[in-house]
Amino acid sequence: MTETASTRYRVEHRTTYTYDDDVTDSLGVGHLLPRSLPWQQVGSYDVTVTPAPSDVNSDTDYYGNSVLYFQVTSPHTELLVVGGGDVTVSVPVVDEAALARPWEELRPLVRRDLPGAWQAADFALPSAGVPLHVGVRDYAAASLVPGRPIGEAVTDLMHRIHAEFDYDATATTVTSTVAEILAKRAGVCQDFAHLTLAALRSHGLAARYVSGYLATEPPPGKERVVGADASHAWVQVWLGGDDWLALDPTNDQWQNERYVTLAWGRDYGDVPPLKGVIFTEATTSTLAVSVDVAPVPS
Amino acid sequence: MTLLRDYAAGLNQPTLSQLTPDGPPRFDEVIGPDGSLRAPWKRLAEVVANIDADDMRRVAAEIDRFLEDDGVTISRPGERPTRWRLDPVPVLVDAASWKQLEVGLAQRAELLNAVLADLYGDQTLLAEGIIPAPVVLAHRGFTRIVARPSVTDPRPLVLSATDLGRDADGAWHVLGDRTQAPSGLGYALENRRVLSRVMPELHREADLHRMAPYLWALRSALLQSATGDLPDPRVVVLSPGSHSETYYDQAAIATNLGFPLVQGSDLTVRDGWVLMRTPRRLERVDVILRRLDADWSDPLELRGDSQLGVAGIAEAVRRGRVRVVNGLGAGVLENPGLLPYLPAASEHLLGEALRLPSQSTWWCGDPDGLDHVLSHLDELTVRTIDGSDLTLAGASPERIRLTVLARPWLFVGQAPLALSQAPSWGGASARASAIAVRTFTLRYGSAYRPLMGGLASVRDGGRSVASKDVWVLKEETAEADQGLADVMPMTAVRSLPATVPRVLDDMFWMGRYAERAEDLLRLVLVVHVLVADYRTRPRTTGGVSLEVMMDAVHRLTGRQHDDDDEDLRSILLDEDRVGSAAHALASLRDALTGVRDQMSLDAWRAMGSVERATAVLEGSRHSHQIAESAGRMLTGVLALQGVTASMIRDAGWHIGVVGRHLERGLQITHLLRLTVERRGIDVDREVLSAVLTAAESSVTHRRRYRDYVRPAGVLDLLLRDPENPRSLAFSLDQLRDHLAALPASTGSTRPERLLDDLVAELSGIDVSALVAIGGVRRPHLAAFLDSVQVQLERLAVAVGELHFATGPRPRSFGALPVREEVTV
Repeated sequence: MTETASTRYRVEHRTTYTYDDDVTDSLGVGHLLPRSLPWQQVGSYDVTVTPAPSDVNSDTDYYGNSVLYFQVTSPHTELLVVGGGDVTVSVPVVDEAALARPWEELRPLVRRDLPGAWQAADFALPSAGVPLHVGVRDYAAASLVPGRPIGEAVTDLMHRIHAEFDYDATATTVTSTVAEILAKRAGVCQDFAHLTLAALRSHGLAARYVSGYLATEPPPGKERVVGADASHAWVQVWLGGDDWLALDPTNDQWQNERYVTLAWGRDYGDVPPLKGVIFTEATTSTLAVSVDVAPVPS
Repeated sequence: MTLLRDYAAGLNQPTLSQLTPDGPPRFDEVIGPDGSLRAPWKRLAEVVANIDADDMRRVAAEIDRFLEDDGVTISRPGERPTRWRLDPVPVLVDAASWKQLEVGLAQRAELLNAVLADLYGDQTLLAEGIIPAPVVLAHRGFTRIVARPSVTDPRPLVLSATDLGRDADGAWHVLGDRTQAPSGLGYALENRRVLSRVMPELHREADLHRMAPYLWALRSALLQSATGDLPDPRVVVLSPGSHSETYYDQAAIATNLGFPLVQGSDLTVRDGWVLMRTPRRLERVDVILRRLDADWSDPLELRGDSQLGVAGIAEAVRRGRVRVVNGLGAGVLENPGLLPYLPAASEHLLGEALRLPSQSTWWCGDPDGLDHVLSHLDELTVRTIDGSDLTLAGASPERIRLTVLARPWLFVGQAPLALSQAPSWGGASARASAIAVRTFTLRYGSAYRPLMGGLASVRDGGRSVASKDVWVLKEETAEADQGLADVMPMTAVRSLPATVPRVLDDMFWMGRYAERAEDLLRLVLVVHVLVADYRTRPRTTGGVSLEVMMDAVHRLTGRQHDDDDEDLRSILLDEDRVGSAAHALASLRDALTGVRDQMSLDAWRAMGSVERATAVLEGSRHSHQIAESAGRMLTGVLALQGVTASMIRDAGWHIGVVGRHLERGLQITHLLRLTVERRGIDVDREVLSAVLTAAESSVTHRRRYRDYVRPAGVLDLLLRDPENPRSLAFSLDQLRDHLAALPASTGSTRPERLLDDLVAELSGIDVSALVAIGGVRRPHLAAFLDSVQVQLERLAVAVGELHFATGPRPRSFGALPVREEVTV
């Protein structure tokens, strides 16, 4: 394959929780460090928590993602978590031969003999955030027709979801189910990712949830607005062995050099950028999130 | 004719047997095919020959009484606790048969431990297809947060339980494994304790393995589970709370091991260490015997809605800073889908053939398994691999077929095992009932050791209806109990009182409810006498006094019945009637349950007598039974006060006394406030006499004032007299002493300051001014009593805030209402 173009980004992802009373103890888990991948090199990159945590620990989770644990025990009314640094991304290389295989041959629960099938099985089974759904299965059947090459079949499914579902931040919440998304024909990137996973898994394919960032381009003639970018989510479909095809139903495209990959898992619940538990008498909180993915001129 | 001879005769006449004639042939535990006693029973033939139905009736009644006295209960999800049931006839296993079983059980635990280590480590079983990956990955017990390269736990399985049944030839088969948080050892201990008392001769002659050394071994194994080389590791038993199904079992284990029984809110994580909240400081916990399912253990990384767990505990486990027994991932083994693959796993991991066969099982995720299950739906039981709630019981074959086909990996089909039968006492004779046996296996030193004993259950239609003790007989008398000659007995073991805030809370309320129950029972007794004497004589002195006292009762408990007797009955029986004696007793029992591991068994004996008095009253409509039962309930409550007198003088004990005297002060002021008014000299005298009796002070009063009953004397005795243990002054003195003994007290804490104010107010009053008359009332007295009540209530709140407030509950990020979402 030929050398593909790569882009270097400076990423900053800020999450701020503000409370109306002191939080005396706060424990958090973050998936905020990008993965090192053949198409993604991570330069200097770190996560800082303010107030300074009394305990921090980095680890690698079951799916190979970087995961950060922290505990803040000094009383605070504001918690700020910033993940940021340099990352260089190119377009993932996909094996053409793998894309041409009939999709039925790539069902790991049926073809347990395939190399890597036992690990892929984890992503073919339903999960808490992606349960089986008959309606979704029927919806996907139009794309997954017998014998169709997997690359073509899943790309068709992506086109249809993009065409037939509205991007609407008011339609769903972070806890919306696949059934609700299907009924409303609307959602945000996380919903489209879950819907696509449910569609593929209901036909026996292995597919995983990817959490990351997408660098957006400013409209022609406009300046790039700092912070206009956001957390993003897309999916990867198993092509056998270690090969996966990453595609983004929200933007109707395969992953390219503008996608920064943080972490992957069975669904959002495995890899939320930040989650945690607080001990407080506070009654309300304010959440502010900003993401900035700025190209760095080489 | 004796019991077992009748039983054997019944077996030989199929028409009389309780077993259905077309049912499967079963192995009988007691009677051999030739009609004679089997080997272990033969040894006891002489003793057994003398046991007849009358003996059994007596033994069964004694068992019930013992279990009631010890407060042994079990509950099913969403149901009230019910009495634990123990059948008098034990299951006997002789030394020779046990040896075979023992080897099989030890090997099984070794294998399960190795499977666990592999699944959370290298996953060779999955990579090589020895166990199909989906059987593990689809199981909700597979806990990915502890399946990380950084985590290694070579001995994730410390204590396991295996359920066994016998086929028609008497061969043992495994029905399932309990590895997450195995329950039953505490029940088995209690069964043994009770049975050895009610059938001492049989127990002695049987020459069986006692259980005590096994507990010592378990204690030692838990202490050794601590990571690092700690001189004195702290071990706790983590319970989901006093409403959990097997709470009795959890408390019994904690008490017997001498480790504190704690709940999630008693623990906290700081800097990766698990700490226990004690009144003075946070103390490090090194080993947690977990009785909480993994799902609920950590609201940070597992179920976020769990209020039972400890946020951060998974991180502490991963960093090796606490050992959780069994490991958080152990639940993945409670999976019937693994059963078909265990023989191959045993070859792969141990290089040995699997000794104990499992119940025949087919996993539907395998194409051949699926075919077999779908074509034998009439013979097999179909269920999910992780007990997830897809109930197929009673579903049509077609529905089962469709459900299984939708997600085959989630199901197994199992051929039901016939199970063996054993005589169980049916009230008039012993009948043949199907039984299964739960065994326990412990990692002790370098090997797994099964308990020589167990917990058998009598099955009726798949449900356990009673338990049986399991006696493993010794080969020779000299043999060491449990084969553990070398275990150090727990000489200096004393239950370390976990005076965590929650325990102080329960002890405080135990003190309050015991006092409240006592005072209400005394009041009922007094009023009942008035009812009996004067109910037919209204408008007489006695009749008016009755009215006054009954009115006081109604103000305290709310009125429910027009008929006085009915109302008093309801005060004794209706737990839902707030303010009633029954309500106070039920709340007392709840509080006692919360600190079960801290209390002597005598406490439950005291409560047992209360329950029996309740049962008698429920069965009798006679008026005199009200007084009779109230008297017995009072005796039970007083016995409980006696039990607490022998408790160690720790913070829990002191706060209990604080609770009691706070309540006593409140009760006496309430009673005086409701009764001491002016209704004429004769009525007042009668009412005051009743008040003195209800306040357990009439004897003292008589000694001091002869029979001259007047308000000033009564008030002086009940409010001011520091020598009268029933007076407000005495209670305030006690409050001062016992508040001072609490670790958080400094002499100037809010409760102490509030108390000082109250003491000053009381010492400043002049009784003659208090009784001053204003119309039909005594306004000074009323104002004073109202003020005392308000101050005592305020004091109670302050005590709670200072001594046992546990702080806010854990909440997820974002669980607070978000005012607005801002994207900058």
